[in-house]
Order: sequence, then C-alpha cells, then structure tokens
Amino acid sequence: MTALSAPLALTVHLVLVSSISFGGFPTVLPDVRNFVVGTHGWMTDQDFANIFAMAQSIPGPNMILMMSFVGWKVWGFPGAVASAFATFGPPCTIYFASYRLWDRFRDAPWQQIVRLGLVPVVMGLVIASGTVMARAADTSWPAVALTIAAAAITLGTRLSPMWMLLVGGALGGLGLL
Amino acid sequence: MNAPNDPCRAQRQELEEAVSLAALFTAFLAVSLYGVVGGSGIVWARRIAVENRRWISDREFADIVSLCQFMPGPNIVGIAVCVGAKMRGTVGTIAAVSGFLVIPWAIGFSVGLLFLEYAHLLVVRNIQGGIAATAAGLLVATGIRLLMPHWRRPAALLFAGLAFGLITFAKLPLLAVLFVLVPLSIAIAGIEKARAR
Repeated sequence: MTALSAPLALTVHLVLVSSISFGGFPTVLPDVRNFVVGTHGWMTDQDFANIFAMAQSIPGPNMILMMSFVGWKVWGFPGAVASAFATFGPPCTIYFASYRLWDRFRDAPWQQIVRLGLVPVVMGLVIASGTVMARAADTSWPAVALTIAAAAITLGTRLSPMWMLLVGGALGGLGLL
Repeated sequence: MNAPNDPCRAQRQELEEAVSLAALFTAFLAVSLYGVVGGSGIVWARRIAVENRRWISDREFADIVSLCQFMPGPNIVGIAVCVGAKMRGTVGTIAAVSGFLVIPWAIGFSVGLLFLEYAHLLVVRNIQGGIAATAAGLLVATGIRLLMPHWRRPAALLFAGLAFGLITFAKLPLLAVLFVLVPLSIAIAGIEKARAR
C-alpha cells in the first residue's frame, strides 16, 4: 500500500457513510469500525474503543472529532483534517439543498400539513433523547431532582441554561449527587 | 407562493439583510462553546437564534429541527446550515458552519490528546455527572417548548407521545420510528385540514 492510498480510502469511505448517516453518525459507527479495524487493520478494536470513549467524554462536535482521531491514526494531522471534512461536508450540502427546497414552498398548503404531522413526532423524539440522557445521568434521587428542576426552570423562566449547568456542575463537584 | 412585490416578503428580506456574517459566525461559535460546557446543541441553538437574537420564530426553529432529523449527518450542524441559509444564503451557511466547527474542533482535538491523563480523577467525573443531569432536564424542556404550538391538537399530542414511548420504552431504532409514525401523522393532519375546510 502506498503512502497516500490509505488516507484516500478512509476519506472516500467517510464521504460515503456520512452521506447515508440518517439519524446521526452513531448509526454508521459499526460500519466504520469494520472498515478501519476489520478490512484494513489500521488500528485494533481496543484503539477504536478508546477513541470512541475519548470523543464521547471531551467537549466539542463529538462524531466529527471521533473521525478526526481515526484520521490522525492513519495519516497524522492531514488525515485528521481530511476526515473532519469528509464527515461534515456531504451532510452540510444535503442540509443546504433540502432547506432551500423547503423554503421555496413555505406557503404551500401541503407544507403546512407536513409540518403539522412532522413536528410533533420529532419533538417526541427530542423529549425521548432527553429522557435517555436522564436515565444515564440520574444515578441518585438528588440527580433526578436536579434534572426535573432544570426542566421546570427552563419552561417557567428565561434564565440562561449556563447558570443551571454551573449549579449542576458545582453540586456534582461537591459530591452532593 | 408570494409575488416578488409582496410587501411582507420584501420586509422579511430587509430584516434578513441586516444580519452580518460575523454575527452568524459568533452566534454559532457561542452555540458550540456553550455546548462544550454542557447541554445539547439544540438547547443552545434555540436559546440564541430564537430567544436572544430573534432571528427566527419557535415555529421556524421546530421546522428546521424536524427537517434536519430526516437528513443524514450530525443534526446540530444542520441547524447551523439552515439558519445561515435563511439569514444570508450560501455565505451565511459557510459563516454559521465555520463558527460552529472550526474553533471548537481545534479545542476539542487538542483537549482530546491530553484528556486521558485526567479522566480518572473523581472530582472531574462528579462535575461531569452533575452537568449531565442538568443537561438532560434542559433537553426535555426544549422538546416540550417546541411542542407548545401544537398543544391544542389531540393528534399532535398522541404522535409525540407515541414517538416518545416507542423510543424510550419499546427501544425501537430511530429510523423505524420516524418512517412509521411520520407518514401516519401527516396523513391525519391532512384529514384534519380537509375536514376544517
């Protein structure tokens, strides 16, 4: 394998999977693992798991960072940048084109019907992912109370979420949760 | 569709002209950096684009989130793409996406290379735990907020509840839930609309 073919193969593969990553990048993660660990042996399963855990626990755009670390393993810094672009570039183009299309028909009667049907389902999903996060995070009754308080304050006031996150972090840091 | 000389359309365009590229860049940089502290991107995107800057309404924001849910890729980047496109077209999208990604990526990438050193400290884990519990509450509340405009339609509440239940309790895959519920929900909205006429 020549010096360039590995990063090129990785980039092309990431462009393909990011274009079909409906429901977010986690849905295609198993495929990426097979590609970099199984097919090409660029890293071990342990490496891949470590990168995943790291990307989950550090701040920032997690999945783009995760793919950047994979690219870093294969081809250093240029690989990291190429993987980042391959991960967010194609979806951004698709978002842009479909928003343009949606906006063009914003006053059409069919679009109002689609909106009436679509939005409630998606908001049910958003609330569900909040609940899934809560189940992982709320390991004690004080943590459950904190989650409920944050939701109630957001609904009842215009207080910035930053204050709530600071209080939450402080309560956790003091060992009160 | 609107005629080109429709006053409403003209007014809206004027309003959209007023938003600078720098404002789009910094707004989405802020969404991204606040998300670093904690909280889902959708929480901060709504806070900044709807409540603080008043660029778009809750209704438009809910549209954008729903649209992005159906597309491949990281959904929160999609919000930056759509708000940027709405305010300033192609260059607006580039400004918003760059703001959202470039600096946070550089920070995250550097921190990532150092992070494993400190991840084992108990205090760091406890702080993260508190933030995660708060962030979950914020996300639930944002979903409820965006559902509010549909509060009076029983069908909307039914489908929101079904989507919630199928993910949370039945643990079905997201795509399956979307492709089963959305056509049904749209069909019922169409019937309601036809009856109201």
